Amino acid sequence: MKLRAITVNNVRRFTDPVAIDAIDDGLNLLCAPNEHGKSTLFDAIQALFFKPHGSRDKEVTALRPHAGGSPEVSVTVETEAGRFTLFKRWLGKAAATVHRDGTLIAQADEAEAWIAELLGGDGGGPSGLIWVRQGMTELTGGTTKEQKLALEARRDLMTSVGEEVEQMTGGRRMDMALARCRAELDDLATGKNRNPRKGGPWRAALDRVETLTERRDSLAATAEALHAALAERKRARRDLHAWEAPEAVEERRARLEAAEAAHTAAKRHAEDVAAEAQKLQTARLTAETARTRLNTLRETLAEHDEAARLLAAAEQEAAQARATAETARAARDAAEGDLATAQEDLTEAETQRAAALRAQAARDGADRRRALTARIAEAEKTRSAMEDAAAAARQGPDDTALRRLETLATAHATTKAAREATATQVIARYAPGQDGAISLGDRALPEGTATALPRATQLTIAGIGTLEVRPGEGQHDDTSVEAAAQALRNALESLDVETLEAARAAGETRVAAEHRAGEARAVLASLAPDGIDQLRAALAAIPQPEDRAEAPDPEAAEQALSAARQAFDAARIAHQTAADHFADARNDATRSDTALTSLQDRLARAETARARLGDSAEETLAAELHQAETALRAAETRHADKARGAPDPASTEAALNRATSVERNAREEITRLKPLLARLDERIGRSSGEAVEERLEETRQELEIAEAALARIAHEKDVLIRLEAALEAARTEARERYFSPIARELKPLLHLLWPEAELTWGDSSLLPDALVRDGREEPITILSGGTQEQVALLVRLAFARLLAATGRTAPVILDDALVFTDDDRIERMFDALHRQAGDLQIIVLSCRQRAFRGLGGNSLHLTPVPAAKAAE
Amino acid sequence: MTLRFIHASDLHIGRKFANIPQPEDGNIRGRLMEARHGAIARLTEVAQSRDAGHVLLAGDTFDTATPSPAVIRQALAAMGEAGGVTWWLLPGNHDNLRDAEPLWEAIRRDAPANVVALTEADPQPLGDVATLLPAPVAFRAGASDPTEPLVRMESEAGRMRVGLAHGGVTDFTGSGEAIAPDRDRSARLDYLALGDWHGRLPVSDRVHYCGSPEQDRFKHGRRGVCLAVTLEGPGAPPQVEEVETGAFLWTERPLALHPRQDAAQALATILPETGRRDVLLRVRANGWAGLSDQADLRHAADRVAPDFAHFELLTDELGTQYDAGDLDEIDRAGALRLAAESLQEAAQSETLSHQDRQVAGDALARLYAYVREDAQ
Repeated sequence: MKLRAITVNNVRRFTDPVAIDAIDDGLNLLCAPNEHGKSTLFDAIQALFFKPHGSRDKEVTALRPHAGGSPEVSVTVETEAGRFTLFKRWLGKAAATVHRDGTLIAQADEAEAWIAELLGGDGGGPSGLIWVRQGMTELTGGTTKEQKLALEARRDLMTSVGEEVEQMTGGRRMDMALARCRAELDDLATGKNRNPRKGGPWRAALDRVETLTERRDSLAATAEALHAALAERKRARRDLHAWEAPEAVEERRARLEAAEAAHTAAKRHAEDVAAEAQKLQTARLTAETARTRLNTLRETLAEHDEAARLLAAAEQEAAQARATAETARAARDAAEGDLATAQEDLTEAETQRAAALRAQAARDGADRRRALTARIAEAEKTRSAMEDAAAAARQGPDDTALRRLETLATAHATTKAAREATATQVIARYAPGQDGAISLGDRALPEGTATALPRATQLTIAGIGTLEVRPGEGQHDDTSVEAAAQALRNALESLDVETLEAARAAGETRVAAEHRAGEARAVLASLAPDGIDQLRAALAAIPQPEDRAEAPDPEAAEQALSAARQAFDAARIAHQTAADHFADARNDATRSDTALTSLQDRLARAETARARLGDSAEETLAAELHQAETALRAAETRHADKARGAPDPASTEAALNRATSVERNAREEITRLKPLLARLDERIGRSSGEAVEERLEETRQELEIAEAALARIAHEKDVLIRLEAALEAARTEARERYFSPIARELKPLLHLLWPEAELTWGDSSLLPDALVRDGREEPITILSGGTQEQVALLVRLAFARLLAATGRTAPVILDDALVFTDDDRIERMFDALHRQAGDLQIIVLSCRQRAFRGLGGNSLHLTPVPAAKAAE
Repeated sequence: MTLRFIHASDLHIGRKFANIPQPEDGNIRGRLMEARHGAIARLTEVAQSRDAGHVLLAGDTFDTATPSPAVIRQALAAMGEAGGVTWWLLPGNHDNLRDAEPLWEAIRRDAPANVVALTEADPQPLGDVATLLPAPVAFRAGASDPTEPLVRMESEAGRMRVGLAHGGVTDFTGSGEAIAPDRDRSARLDYLALGDWHGRLPVSDRVHYCGSPEQDRFKHGRRGVCLAVTLEGPGAPPQVEEVETGAFLWTERPLALHPRQDAAQALATILPETGRRDVLLRVRANGWAGLSDQADLRHAADRVAPDFAHFELLTDELGTQYDAGDLDEIDRAGALRLAAESLQEAAQSETLSHQDRQVAGDALARLYAYVREDAQ
């Protein structure tokens, strides 16, 4: 739908018809100062679309001019179906019409329905969503009350946006459905866990099922008890009949009598058998006694004979043993004599061998004495030579003194040579035949040889006289040479030699003596390592030889000793053997004597026993035994005859007990069953009289219905929970789904003002609740009035595009929608309006003529309508 | 030599019908109970009208082993008032000999002269032309063919032999034992009157289930009957006449639906036109229907239900066919549409359990109902 023209008449200040024509598709601007009727036009359009022509409410009456009259509004719209003119008049001669190309197509209520359909059906429409009525003029201006009203106007603006979002996400019908669902669910269940509500139908159904279940179980138990009682009564009747039947009674009586008679007879017979048994026992004892006496006699006689026989043998054996012992004793004594002789021979042999050994030792001592004496003499000779050499070795300079002397001689020669090298020299060159003519002292100067003249020297020149040579100052110091010479002389004197060569010869002599002394010392050490005195002591220790003319041969003495030892050992073994034989023989003799004594006692006892038996003859006793055994056999026969065929008293007693107990049981059972039957009759009669099965069946059927009802209610609860969940989930999803295109539409608009800005939406309010700029989230409510109205307008423009996308194209009408926006922002808002005007019709009403000059778009003007045209 | 008698069974007198929902302003349970008691009078009328001197009740005369004294006494009194008719009462499984011993004691003690309790398997003379061979049920669930003793049961020569038994010829109870279908031949019977099966069922020429004279379930789809039997003589084929005795019709009718069909109209076509007050009707809808069709169907069912003694609509087998129109009716877009689509998807899911699909489908139907009611 797009607006093409608006005409108003008798609306507030417009007491004469005025119109706006030529409204374009895109952006349209009606700019006029205040009090020129822009808001009146807005209200008139609003009334045309939303106020029924029959309405007389305050918004309608507010349209009437002061002078009165019936407000009239006519709007020409263009839809896909064509161009239509909508007209309404309120209050007097109220009317509503819809014309198409001058043809009336609807009027009155039909026209109202046509208009409602044009707006998109039931309620809503573009008004609240994208039409902006004039707000307050200034946020900071006016009174406190005006500011408050301005604040509320902005809040209304935002709320209306939210409501529209809510409408798109389900709106009132969603609320209705959720409310009904929750209300019905609340009737059934309560709490987060959806427990049955107390007093609710679910609880009631549960209680009903529980009650009926309990009743059914109780009745079933009663019925079961009734069945059990019936079965028990049947058994009891059968049992009582069995006990009380006459034939049964007679049978029990006869059986009891027979048992009693049988048991009495059995007892009597048993007594007879017992008497015979007693007699049999007596006969057995008599025979046993006779047998015992005869056996005793026979055994006593046999013992006496045996004892006598054994005693005789034992006496013989003892005599033999004693003889054997005496023989052994004699043998032992002879062996003892042999042993003593052998002992004596052994002692003698040992004495001889000792004497032989001593003689051998004396011979060995004499040899050793001679050797030691010779050795001592050699040692003493060697010691003397050693002492001589040692004395010689102490003469002459030792090695140290010689080295010192050599050192001093070298020093003297060196000093002297050095002195001569620096001294004045003279070299004689003799004329021929004059050799040796020049002499120094007594010595002629050699030809061509330099002779040092260390001090003033007088040379004698033969034939000439003397020549005194005086060295220069400083060339006359012979102190060092003299000192070296003196030191050398002193050293020679200390060694008591005159020359160095003599000293060297004396040194060599000393070294040779030292060598000799060393050799003699080594020889002495081998001859007498511990000294000659020790050798002399060893010599003194050797005993002097005995003076024995004869000494046995040691080897013969050793052989004799060995033979004597062997003879002694043989004698000792023979003695031991003889002693052992004697001990054995003596023991045998002792045992034989002991056995003999024992048999003598045995024989004495046998004789005593025999004496005790008196004079009874064996034949007599044998006859008595025979008689007793005959009597026993007779008793056994009588007892066996009596016992054979006797009734078993235990069996007859058991039979009697059984018959007695059967009779007793019969009496007890009859006594028990009769009252039991009475009780069962009473119980069965009561239960059957109460129709327990009938009530049980009825209860089962009721329970069946109650369980079905419970299942239905439980299902109902599940259905409601499922529906509630589906509705809530859908609403959440719808929010996301619908916010997504809004956000998409809003994004470029917001970015015209604030790059990268986003809006966030409240979950419950469905309002934009915060503006996110530069990562900061600012609640809408704390934004400035200008920013809030800018956000609101952009949101409306976005919704308008969304509406258009759903086929519900509607013009955006903005009546002073930007009153708080500054010049900079308003330019960008204009850009936003132009951007959206590409496919939306936007009608801007503004009093800010200067500020809106830059908006552009199609300019609209209010023009009076000629009377003639108005009349049409 | 002609014997005429009425063969009936399974009166289940005393049944409370507590499993039938009873509206607060209704008395269907009382009416059904009364109808069962009324069967005695109707059987009397049939007997008297057919000149039949005997009514053979083949078990389960009473619904439970211990009916209330009033139920027993009033039933016996009603039988006693049937002039010229002898009632032969056989214990069935519901009123078997063991559990219902007090009942049978009461009957033997209090019954009028024309009521005979057949608590023993002993032959009984039916007038002077026939012998009744009863096979009383000893236990609620037996493990043997109760008619087996009939083979050895003696009867006076020249008389017709009429067997009376209770139990399944086929194995209704799963007990593993059943009455031999050829028992009439093995026991030399001229007629075997059977009870236990609540529907009318001829087994052979001489073996018949009469069914209950007053139905109590939707299974059989017709009013209860009794059999008026005429035996012309030993060996003659029995003449069996079905006589309707039921006061109430229990019936279940399928309602096959398909999408975009007028479900309410379809329901109307299967409803009986007359006598609805005495009809218990179960409509078992199947096939497919849209949300609006289902809502219309339920609405139509709610509207018509009070016409009937009892009415129930089963939709377990009715699938929901979702189409865009249904969902558009909820909302063309927005959150409600999303919710509807998610529920539809869950209801048609192949991975969810049947229970979850059912819940989702019902939730969608509920949402549809909310929106539709809100629109109205």
